[in-house]
Amino acid sequence: MNSDDLIASLTRDLRPVPRHALGRRLGLGMVLGGLVTLAVVGGGLGFRPDLALAMHGATFWIKWAYTISLAVCATAATLRLARPDGIVGGWLRLMVVPVLCLAMIAVAELAVTPRGQWLALWLGHSWTMCSRNVLLLSVPIFAGLLWSFRRLAPTRLALAGTSAGMAAGAWGATLYCLHCPETSALFVLTWYTLGMAGAALVGRLLGPRLLRW
Amino acid sequence: MRHDDDRLRALMLAGLTGDSVAHAALLRALLSPLRGFFRRRLGGRDDDVEDLVQETLIAVHQRRASYDPERPFGAWVHAIARYKLIDRYRRSGRTTPLDDMPELADEFAFAEASDARADLDRLLDTIPAKQASVLRATRIEGLSTAEAAERLGIGESDVKVSAHRGLKALAARVRDSWQ
Repeated sequence: MNSDDLIASLTRDLRPVPRHALGRRLGLGMVLGGLVTLAVVGGGLGFRPDLALAMHGATFWIKWAYTISLAVCATAATLRLARPDGIVGGWLRLMVVPVLCLAMIAVAELAVTPRGQWLALWLGHSWTMCSRNVLLLSVPIFAGLLWSFRRLAPTRLALAGTSAGMAAGAWGATLYCLHCPETSALFVLTWYTLGMAGAALVGRLLGPRLLRW
Repeated sequence: MRHDDDRLRALMLAGLTGDSVAHAALLRALLSPLRGFFRRRLGGRDDDVEDLVQETLIAVHQRRASYDPERPFGAWVHAIARYKLIDRYRRSGRTTPLDDMPELADEFAFAEASDARADLDRLLDTIPAKQASVLRATRIEGLSTAEAAERLGIGESDVKVSAHRGLKALAARVRDSWQ
């Protein structure tokens, strides 16, 4: 096809692009994926029975502050990496801050816990499932992001994949909090982080294949 | 260049609101710079050049939501063209990991800049040494007339005259080498 014909065919029935289309598109992908994840948490795993009560306590909010702040950083980085000339800035490095804050809380927690109970604090009741659940719950959100990226133009595919995987993992973990009754900071710091890092790694590996355009 | 970016950006913004005439004008205006961009880097394989130009136009069209109206338009198109070029390299078997792209792009820019510098050095060698050193100081390093005069140990008016004569001599050399 010659280029003039191509231009004619591309510009036929041109649809307007709304302002902030990039943010909307990524937001829509994450929300649609998030709804699937929420349905799995609510319908499959079940919300924790004491959810309303837990939401009055500090530990629930510490968990949410941790996963949501990570999710916000990863989402901001993903938004930037969706542009061909995007610069990540400090968003990915900023994720060190919530990790360090939670680590300090975990140390404080250990300090007031007798040494004999440290292992129970660390492993909780669900350490064998937690990371895996976080990873699996990230899948629908990651798929939503892949859909968003079809109209966007990432050029650093491995980094964009890592960042999208991390965002999916952190939002997935946020929704997993609605099920998971674990309360210790050490538990969250270990097993949640492992699940989110796994999602980021999967994103890194799949990014160059699935985000190509 | 600046003016050109403003014009293309205006067309792009109109295209984003659904103005298909502006959008078509934008894509047509990109044809020639894109052909130049790919031709310089692929070395004259015209089919490949036209393929890449078309792929880039399709991407500019399909992925136009990724343009940030607050930023220069040229940089956005350039990033897309660069991505398409590197994707082509990779598909044709050259092992260029995509994440090396910014570095590779810098390499392109660097190669171009160093070519230009070599050309400039060759040209400056053909004019009198004083004029060449004045031009280097004022036009390349960006010193003021007073700073250059102090550095070279000559008067300010001498700097001005030498710069003027040097530029004239360079223009004459360039004109000669074109003929």
